[in-house]
Amino acid sequence: MSGNYKSVFDIIGPVMIGPSSSHTAGAVAIGRAANRIFGDVPTKIIVHYYESFAQTHKGHGTDYAIISGIMGFEPDDARVPNALQIAKDSGIEVQFIEEAGDSPIGHPNTAIVELSKADREITVAGCSIGGGTIEIRDIKMDGFHIKPKGPLPILLVQSDASNKNLIQEKLAKINTINYHAEYDAPGKGMLYEYDLENRLKEQDLSTLSQKHTKMVYL
Amino acid sequence: MYESIKALVDASMSTDTPISELMIQQEMTKNNVSREEVWQQMARNLEVMEAAVKRGVEGDGVFSKTGLTGGEAVLLKKYREKGHTLSGDTMVEAVQNAIATNEVNAAMGVVCATPTAGSTGTLPGVLFVIRDRLNLSREQMINFLFTAGAFGMIIANNAMIAGATGGCQAEVGSASAMAAAAAVEAAGGNAEQSAEALAMAMSNLLGLVCDPVAGLVELPCVKRNAIGAGNALIAADMALAGCTNKIPADEVVSAMKEVGQGLPKALRETGIGGLAGTPTGVKMKVSIFGKSVPVS
Repeated sequence: MSGNYKSVFDIIGPVMIGPSSSHTAGAVAIGRAANRIFGDVPTKIIVHYYESFAQTHKGHGTDYAIISGIMGFEPDDARVPNALQIAKDSGIEVQFIEEAGDSPIGHPNTAIVELSKADREITVAGCSIGGGTIEIRDIKMDGFHIKPKGPLPILLVQSDASNKNLIQEKLAKINTINYHAEYDAPGKGMLYEYDLENRLKEQDLSTLSQKHTKMVYL
Repeated sequence: MYESIKALVDASMSTDTPISELMIQQEMTKNNVSREEVWQQMARNLEVMEAAVKRGVEGDGVFSKTGLTGGEAVLLKKYREKGHTLSGDTMVEAVQNAIATNEVNAAMGVVCATPTAGSTGTLPGVLFVIRDRLNLSREQMINFLFTAGAFGMIIANNAMIAGATGGCQAEVGSASAMAAAAAVEAAGGNAEQSAEALAMAMSNLLGLVCDPVAGLVELPCVKRNAIGAGNALIAADMALAGCTNKIPADEVVSAMKEVGQGLPKALRETGIGGLAGTPTGVKMKVSIFGKSVPVS
């Protein structure tokens, strides 16, 4: 059993703007993950599509959906269908590329999103596995190359090593850590990845927050 | 989490607890939320479904931007009003509700994906006719959704629910199976009968391909939900009558996964094969998107 679908509302839901949960709502979710990782509105967006996404993104509204997510919209936001125009009016440069080969992360509904602003750039590889649920399988940010197992929720903590044990102990008390990895980048310190079994609440996140830490919760 | 349909059915039968209640309890424990929060969120989802069913039959109906789909829920409503349906008013009303919901979806309206947006009409198709047939209370309707969700989670975690990975059998097939199982509980059947209804509904749609014309969730998706709803009602009735599928539900789900993995890519939501690849389907894609399509 995969265990990717953890809530009844992954199946009865999401409430969303049509037409496709995998290619529209899921694309919004991949965009929102990229938005959280970037933590800012980018000036340039490049989206690489693979397989089913490459073949059918226009028909499924994937373009406006993924841009909606990158701008932080929810899947049922009335602005979703107009997201491309909204991005253009905000001066964001947007490019979609239909890639010919197989998905580099091994799923037919794959999008790889590159966001940049000034000299900062991130890359997020996500796939939409059905019903609006997604996986994030590859992230490049701030010198770190993170390779999560896929299923959400994922908590990324950028911190110096002194906070590590404290955060991990607190996290273990309120959740189940399915997978853990550590990454270092020259001059950037450490990044700790926690793939979690259950969703975190707002108050849990503030409990985990420590001095000089940066957290991204997906 | 319940890892198999058998585990879910056994838990329900041995404790004499409806599956909807088991699902609510799992949701509360797993996600550390109150009963009230879980209940209210499902109540809101129900309201979204009701609004879509209603919106689909207002005036001349709802039409997609491409014009490929729309207005047919209204045609069905008018046809029903004449009182000469072949399959009976309940069946045609289920079809009307399913089509109304997917027409709203195709027109980029707001829907509740159950389990997916492409298969979003199947559950409402069934739910709103059995509400009238069985005089279901609001509470029973919300429980219907929890039961459908409980079975849907097991299908999604053990097989798949995306057309791109498993074809339409994974979307409308799963939705129909979920609806059949939930309808049985709503009608007073037990968990074993729910599992039989699920097994029969899914067995009936095994092999169904995902071949959206122009890659749009319109043709044939909208009408496949009509079949999903009708099939669910038939399977639920068979299970309530005491018919059994002989092949157990969990094995049917495994078979669905295997069939899905065996489908060629052209028939898994690429908009290349099947109806999408017919001369008319290709012509529609070219006229909408203005370019030729890959044909292999």
